[in-house]
Amino acid sequence: MSFTKKTGSKALDALQNLPRITLANLRPEPGAKKAEKRRGRGQHGGNRSGRGHKGERQRGTRPRLGFEGGQSPFYLIIPKYGYNEGHSRRPQYQPLSLKRLQYLIDLGRVDPNQPIDLTQLVNARGVTVQPLKRDYGVQLVDEGADIFAAKINIEVQRASEGAIAAIERNGGVITTSFYDPISLGILIKPVPFFLRGQPIPKRMFPGEDMVPYYRGAENRGYLADPEQIREARLALARKYGYVLPDISKDELYHMLSMRKDVRQIFFGLSPGWVVNMADKKILKPTDEKLVQYYSS
Amino acid sequence: MAASMLCKRVAMLTRVINGLSVSKTVITVKSPNGLLLQTASYNPKPLKLNIKEPYIPDKNSEKTPEWQKTARYDSKLYGRYGSASGISPESLWPSHKQLESIIAEENEWHPPLEEMLKNIEAREKEETEKRLAREKLIADNMAKMPKMIADWRKEKHEKKRKLKEEKARRARLLAEAKERFGHAVDPRSSKFLEMVAEIEKEEKKKKKLLKRRLRMEQVGAPDTPPSAAS
Repeated sequence: MSFTKKTGSKALDALQNLPRITLANLRPEPGAKKAEKRRGRGQHGGNRSGRGHKGERQRGTRPRLGFEGGQSPFYLIIPKYGYNEGHSRRPQYQPLSLKRLQYLIDLGRVDPNQPIDLTQLVNARGVTVQPLKRDYGVQLVDEGADIFAAKINIEVQRASEGAIAAIERNGGVITTSFYDPISLGILIKPVPFFLRGQPIPKRMFPGEDMVPYYRGAENRGYLADPEQIREARLALARKYGYVLPDISKDELYHMLSMRKDVRQIFFGLSPGWVVNMADKKILKPTDEKLVQYYSS
Repeated sequence: MAASMLCKRVAMLTRVINGLSVSKTVITVKSPNGLLLQTASYNPKPLKLNIKEPYIPDKNSEKTPEWQKTARYDSKLYGRYGSASGISPESLWPSHKQLESIIAEENEWHPPLEEMLKNIEAREKEETEKRLAREKLIADNMAKMPKMIADWRKEKHEKKRKLKEEKARRARLLAEAKERFGHAVDPRSSKFLEMVAEIEKEEKKKKKLLKRRLRMEQVGAPDTPPSAAS
C-alpha cells in the first residue's frame, strides 16, 4: 500500500486501497474486551476464591427456587384457580397500533396504494409473527386513532372497534380474516415457500369457536354478508359521529374493493398454483380432480 | 413545517443519489394535498441461489443420502432451480391416491362451513333454552316469594303468641296452687300435678256443659228437636 504525497487525498487513497472491511479483518477495539478473572491463583491459592466459608453457598448446591427449607412453599400454599386455564394454548395476536401503521406508511415502508395484508406488514418489519408460538396474526389496536390519516385497504386478523372507525373515517377499508397456522406461515414468508416447489394450499376455515367472530359484520369479518357490512359501516359512522366517505366514487376504488377469496392466501394467486422463482413462471394444475379439489 | 423540511431533504437526497448510480429505486409521489411523500420499494433479501451450477443429486449413487432421493426433495429442487433441475412439474402435485387421502383427512378434520354454522346454531339454541328455563324458574320462585315471607311471619307470630299463653297459664296455675295450699309448690311435685289434672278435668266438664247448653239452645230455637228423635 503506497500513499501519494498529497495530504488532501490521503484519506481517499486509503479508502480506495485498503481491503474491504469483512468479518475476517475486524477485531475488537483495544480496551473493549476485559480479561477473564482467574480465581484462586498465586498468593490466594488456599483461600475460598470469594465464595465464603463452607456450605451450599460455597459449593453452589443451593436448593431450587421457591424451596423454603421443607415447609410447604408459598407457591403450593396458594390454591390454583382457572383464570389462566389453557393460557399456553390460547391464540396470540401481535398488536399493531394505528400509530405504528401511520409511521410505517409515512416512512414508505408500507405502500398505501396497494392492499395491505400480513405479507406487506411483515416485509416492512412492522410486526413479527411467529406461527410456531401460537401467533394467529396481528390485531389492529386503536392507539393513535386520532392522528391516523391514511386511506388504506388493510387485512388483519383482529381489529378493535376504534381502529375500524379510524380507518373507515379516512375512506379506507378493513377486513378481518382467519389464516390457519400453515397458511399463516406461507403468508408471512412467501419466498421460502415458493422455493419449496409446492402448490399453494387452500386456506382453511376457522374452527367453530372463531367462526362467529369472522361471521360478524361489526368485526368486518371475511365470512360476513357484504350487505350487513355496509349497514355496519353506516352504523359505526353514526356511532362515532363522522360522515362515511363514498368509496365507489374514489379514484382508488379498484384497490379499495380488492378482497381475497375465502380460500385464497395471496392476492392474485389461487390455491393449487405453483410459483417458480427461478423460471419466473406460474404453473397451474390441469388435472380435473386436482382442479376440483383446489377450487372447492 | 417538519413535513416540508422532510420533503426538501428527501428531494435533495434523491438528487444526490440520482447523481451517483444506484440500483434501488426511490420513488417520490406527489400526493393531492401538496405534500411530497416518499415511497420506497421493498428491498428484498438477495436470493442466494447458485443457479448456474445446480446441485442435482444422483439417485442411483449409493453415496447420495436417502433424504435427497425423496419426492419432497425433488419438489424442493424444482422450486430452487426450475426446469434446470430436470424434474417433471407434474410430480409437484399430489397423485390421485395421495389426493384421496388428503380429501379424506380434510373431510374428517375440516367440516364445511354450513355444518359448523348448523352446529353453532344448535349449541346456541340449546344454551338459550337452558338459560330461559333457568330464568323462568327464578321468576316463578320470585313471584312466590312475598306470600312465603308473609306465611313465615304469621307462623312466627303464632308461635310467639302460643308461648306467651303457655307461660301465662303456668303462672296462673302456680298462683292458684299457692292460693290453695298456702305456700309455693314445686311444679314437678305430684301434689301440683294432681291439682293440675283436677283443674283440667273441671275445665273439660265445664266445656262439655257449655257445649251441650249451646246445642240445646240451637236446637230449641227450631220447632222439632232432633235430639228427642234419637
